[in-house]
Amino acid sequence: MKKITQLVVLLCIGAFTILALGCGNSQNTSSKTPSKVMIEYWHVNAESFGGPSVKQLVEQFNKENPDIEVVEKYNPDMYKGLTQNLQAAMASGKNPDVVQMGYSYLNYAGENLKYASIPDIITKLSPEDNSYLQDNFLPNVLALATTDDGKQIGIPYSVSVPVLYYNPDVFKQAGLDPNQPPRTWQEVTQYAKTIKEKTGIMGFFMQEYADNWAQQALIESNGGQILAKKDGRTMAGFDTPEASEAYQVLADMVKNGNGLHATNEEAFQAFLSGKLGMVCTTIGKRDNFEKSAKFTVMAAQFPSFEGKTRRLPAGGNLLMIFSQDPDKQKAAWRFVKFLESPGALALWSKGTGYLPPRKGVTEDPQGLKDFAEQNKNMQVAMSQMPEVVKWASFPGANGLQAEQALIDVRDIILSGKQSAADALKQAAAKINSML
Amino acid sequence: MSRFTWQSVLFLAPAVITLLLFAYWPLLQDVWLSFHSWNMVSPTMKFVGLQNYLQLLSSGELIKILLNTILYILVLVCVNFILPYLLSFIIAHRLNRFSFFYRSALFIPSTVSLAVASILFLWILNPLAGPLNIILSAIGLESPRWFKESGLVIIIIGLIIGWKVFGYNLILLVAAMVDVPKELIEAARLENVSNWQLFRRIIVPMTSSTALYVFVITVVFGLQYVLVPVNMLTQGGPDQGSTNLVYIVYQYGFVFFQTGKASAFAIVTMLLYALFLIVKTKVLDKKVHYEN
Repeated sequence: MKKITQLVVLLCIGAFTILALGCGNSQNTSSKTPSKVMIEYWHVNAESFGGPSVKQLVEQFNKENPDIEVVEKYNPDMYKGLTQNLQAAMASGKNPDVVQMGYSYLNYAGENLKYASIPDIITKLSPEDNSYLQDNFLPNVLALATTDDGKQIGIPYSVSVPVLYYNPDVFKQAGLDPNQPPRTWQEVTQYAKTIKEKTGIMGFFMQEYADNWAQQALIESNGGQILAKKDGRTMAGFDTPEASEAYQVLADMVKNGNGLHATNEEAFQAFLSGKLGMVCTTIGKRDNFEKSAKFTVMAAQFPSFEGKTRRLPAGGNLLMIFSQDPDKQKAAWRFVKFLESPGALALWSKGTGYLPPRKGVTEDPQGLKDFAEQNKNMQVAMSQMPEVVKWASFPGANGLQAEQALIDVRDIILSGKQSAADALKQAAAKINSML
Repeated sequence: MSRFTWQSVLFLAPAVITLLLFAYWPLLQDVWLSFHSWNMVSPTMKFVGLQNYLQLLSSGELIKILLNTILYILVLVCVNFILPYLLSFIIAHRLNRFSFFYRSALFIPSTVSLAVASILFLWILNPLAGPLNIILSAIGLESPRWFKESGLVIIIIGLIIGWKVFGYNLILLVAAMVDVPKELIEAARLENVSNWQLFRRIIVPMTSSTALYVFVITVVFGLQYVLVPVNMLTQGGPDQGSTNLVYIVYQYGFVFFQTGKASAFAIVTMLLYALFLIVKTKVLDKKVHYEN
């Protein structure tokens, strides 16, 4: 009993000493650097999804910038969770300073959130960076963070694009040259046919996630559109010959037995075990594919339509600043610049699989030069950056439901129940009644 | 007398308060939400009256969802009620040896989580790389696209849920079967009654109370279990071919962020459940033999 009392007393003394020391310390630091700025960085990166990279970056920044202290805060449930927390925080006047925002929330954020405009911060507080945005980002990439009414609400940070993965062993078996992957959709169709006929292996699969990301790339690369503006209203834009022609390419492959219509997991598993020749999906799967496959996974650029330019929607997020106080705004801007620096972006790309949004990171020895030289698949994805466009998001309260209608249509077209033209026409009517 | 009431209130309080707080209060909130339009993010909610309900009733979606739900119920009743009922009779009365082994072997799968069962079936049924496809192609058949054909997908998801529920229901039914007095059966045997007559005239009436319970949980819980495999494997696809009353609530709420419509669907679902339970009490309960 006595021993326990002694122990408690000892612990109390210890705690007091630490407290006292702590107070002394904080007084010391505050007298030395009276203007240490605290800023908060909100992100969506769980431990399995780039979380360690975020921590590493914040630590590095805090070490290099003794006058600023960045605190990172993880927000569960992706951008929806983050946006909810953000609105709650702003209602109580405690906004974070730097925030990751999903591209699909771009217009919502622009219309509903009280953000600090980065171009304004630059002109007011950091005039030496006047040409920073133009110098370092491709115009089409910069547009990823520009709302429909033309406001630059943030800076693109993470970017993913679709690519065509293929199995070189299957190519060789079918008598095709793995160094000559298909470049056009016509060639993809031929390759898929050859693979099926020569080897009996299924030829091609395009991702069937619960979104239309890859299908948008297909449609828009043939000159079609997902959304169209008519009299100031946003309408479904995919009931055009270009869109249905592109979609029909997929449907025909499935109909002829050379293309696969299945769930993503089934198709990826089949690809990794060598039962599927080509898979069209995000560069975000690169690391996972390369590590899990028994063969050397190779990637080619997203196929194009003869004589037409590719248009590839970007997945990922942009960085926004929410600080109101000029000191914090300045600190937040410095932090954003740090996150967008080649070294930090390189760390980010390796940790997550996202592509760097900025020009020159791939050539920079501080950046991804070594990594990109070693990894051809990464190079392929990065060569597509000039063709990146915005991921279409259906506007309004029924937007996500409208997206689902387009997902449902994919099943109708690929199962061969209706031709692409008919199915897309019906879906467009349905979606227009929702918007 | 007053002391007695006071005490009983006190004893009931923990249960009643918990129930009110976690069942009835959310229910009221759900009713309130169903009259509003809200996206879970926006700070303002808009009152829309009955609009959510009207949209729900006027869309063609509802009919498809109801038909799918009925199909699910049929599959679930076959896999998780009729089949274990017959098997439990065999295990309890027709097997002379190894009954313990069969009971355990058939129960073990229900300890596996539904998510695991879903992935397991995804692997088994993979139309290109799965073992079932290897067997099918060996006999010259082509594997169907299990999760991409409407109708078929509901049967498969019903089977996945069966993996989880079958064993539990079987154990309940075996217990009821074993409870049937041996004398009755032996007396029947002496009279040279056929197996079918034995089953029909003695077993079915004597086990009817447990059977009814199993039937109700097969429908009520089974439909709720649908959420996990559907969310993991099909997200309601192909073309809403595997959605049902329970998944659609989740989809409207947490995929489309339309809490109003999700709540309206939830209320409709609850009313249909209530209808089912009323039918059960009014009709089925009367045909059931309770021992006490």
